[in-house]
Amino acid sequence: MLSKRLYDWIDLRIGAREIVKKELTGYLLPKKINEWYSLGSVLMVIFGLQIATGMLLMVYYVPDPEKAFKSITFIMNEVPYGWLIRLCHAVGSNMMVAVLLLHMFSVLMMGSYKSPRELNWLTGFILFCLIQGISLTGYLAPWSQLSFWATTVATNSAAAIPVIGPYLVEFMRGGKLVGPPTLGRFFALHVAVLPAVIAALVGAHLFLLKRTGISTPPSGVQQSRNPWPVESYRYESHPGGIPFFPNYALQDLTSISVYFAVFLAVVFFAPNFLFTPDAFVPANPFQTPAHIKPEWYFLANYQTLKIFPSELLGLSVQVAAMTLLALLPFLDRSPERNPLKRPLFLVCSIGGILIWIGLTIWGHYS
Amino acid sequence: MTLLPQHTRFRRRATFGALIFTLLAGPQAATAATAAAGEQPESACIQCHETLPDRLGAPVKLWRASIHAENGISCNACHGGDAKDAADAMNRTRGFLGAPKEAEVPAFCGRCHPGVMKDYLLSAHGKALGKGGPNCVTCHGNHRVVKASLELINEKNCSRCHSFERARTIRAAMQQTESYVVGIDARIAGFQAEGVDTDRLGKGLFAIRNRFHTLFHEVDVSLVKRESARIDAELGKLDLELKAIEDARARRRVVGGFVVTGLLLLAWLFHLLKKTYD
Repeated sequence: MLSKRLYDWIDLRIGAREIVKKELTGYLLPKKINEWYSLGSVLMVIFGLQIATGMLLMVYYVPDPEKAFKSITFIMNEVPYGWLIRLCHAVGSNMMVAVLLLHMFSVLMMGSYKSPRELNWLTGFILFCLIQGISLTGYLAPWSQLSFWATTVATNSAAAIPVIGPYLVEFMRGGKLVGPPTLGRFFALHVAVLPAVIAALVGAHLFLLKRTGISTPPSGVQQSRNPWPVESYRYESHPGGIPFFPNYALQDLTSISVYFAVFLAVVFFAPNFLFTPDAFVPANPFQTPAHIKPEWYFLANYQTLKIFPSELLGLSVQVAAMTLLALLPFLDRSPERNPLKRPLFLVCSIGGILIWIGLTIWGHYS
Repeated sequence: MTLLPQHTRFRRRATFGALIFTLLAGPQAATAATAAAGEQPESACIQCHETLPDRLGAPVKLWRASIHAENGISCNACHGGDAKDAADAMNRTRGFLGAPKEAEVPAFCGRCHPGVMKDYLLSAHGKALGKGGPNCVTCHGNHRVVKASLELINEKNCSRCHSFERARTIRAAMQQTESYVVGIDARIAGFQAEGVDTDRLGKGLFAIRNRFHTLFHEVDVSLVKRESARIDAELGKLDLELKAIEDARARRRVVGGFVVTGLLLLAWLFHLLKKTYD
């Protein structure tokens, strides 16, 4: 057969069979591995789709305040399937944040951030910040009333920082007010700097995953404690586990298909679920729309600032919360990973998540 | 090492500090928002008059609820002056006009609405200008200027000066066209809020509506009926274009339904296949 001959030809040159055995069929995962572990693969697919749709959008998008809105309108209405590409990109950015939050939630609940996986958590946390950053910078691109004023609000908040605040605002905007230099900066960050940094960090995240090995889910096993403290480097292998290919690859494909079903349901049936009408009005620096709000994943931060008597205090609380989350593996050093055997952790984490959800809802209706 | 001026070094330190802060706080800090989103300053007229009592402050509140405010037409568009400079905002050398006298109102509004002014001046209302007849603001309001619609022809408004009977007949003749205009306007606005390029349709409706509005000052009932029928025919063409957009979107949803169902089936298939290996 031609395919076998081709495979043999490639194998002879690069040892393809050996790679397949080591990385796919011979790559064993924990027996009790669950569906939550496939969210990483889903995120990789989403990121790939964002890059692909972003590249296609760049064919027609013009990062110039005079032309940006018109170019988006042209993509949405004139370019064949432009509406689909643009909606996939816009909805995809929101879905990416949502899936990333679920991924972090599963890592949190299964204690997979614990030693020796501190660096996995840290790179993942930085990726979380960068994904929000890339969403924020992309938000300005359509140069609509929504994007213009949301960016004005977002950049303005940095003014609350003592001494350097005003300089930081000007630095981010490239001027006193949001204008053409802001679009230039945000566009460069959105299409060049942040994707490259994110891709590099995804690589680092995967490298760390490969070096430490997949963590065993803590539920359903008798021993859910980490061998801690770690004395020397050790790869966590899973003898007798299930092979990545075809077993878990099929789970990945199942999760990816379910994700695409949900994602495309939003794209086809509720594309404006995430947009307000201001998203389709060209930016007007002299007309402030009423009730301008940041994206849903920033609503908790938005509300936090409003409930504290000073913005600086609100910002400090957020910085403290984010620092705590970033350094969690260094602070939570208990070897136990089963959440049911960690009541204090469970109360704190569920409480924190409920506060975040509450602030988000409050921010939406405030 | 090059010696930098004091302020440059401070700026560099400040920028470095800012970067460190941004890294720590992440985009979280960057999205911090205040309820007062409008950092871009409002006109000097509004900033000052909003704080003034009674008749000097009242126009701002009224204006905020007007069609002018909705379309970004601020005080200086009508009253002139320099809205960027509080000190000279009401300086006549900067084009400040102030409030017009009663007989000057049509010319005042007519600078932006010349067609309507012409219709008005030819109407019975216009001919009575300065002789106790109404001017623009009598029916349309002054600062709280409302969008021109048939709603303005009502018993309360008209019976301030004369009987409502004739106006009632004219209003009834235009009611169907008005409903058609309002319906198409709502559909265009709905599509615009979904990202559909409604620019051409909007302009088309704008022109038709303006033609229709010329009838609002007309008192010849048969002319109103004839012209309304012609306008209905033109609205019909816009209606067809909107239906084409609605059909295209309905087709998209059908395709979307198939795609989503296919993906769910695929997910189920992968799940079953995985089970065979477990």
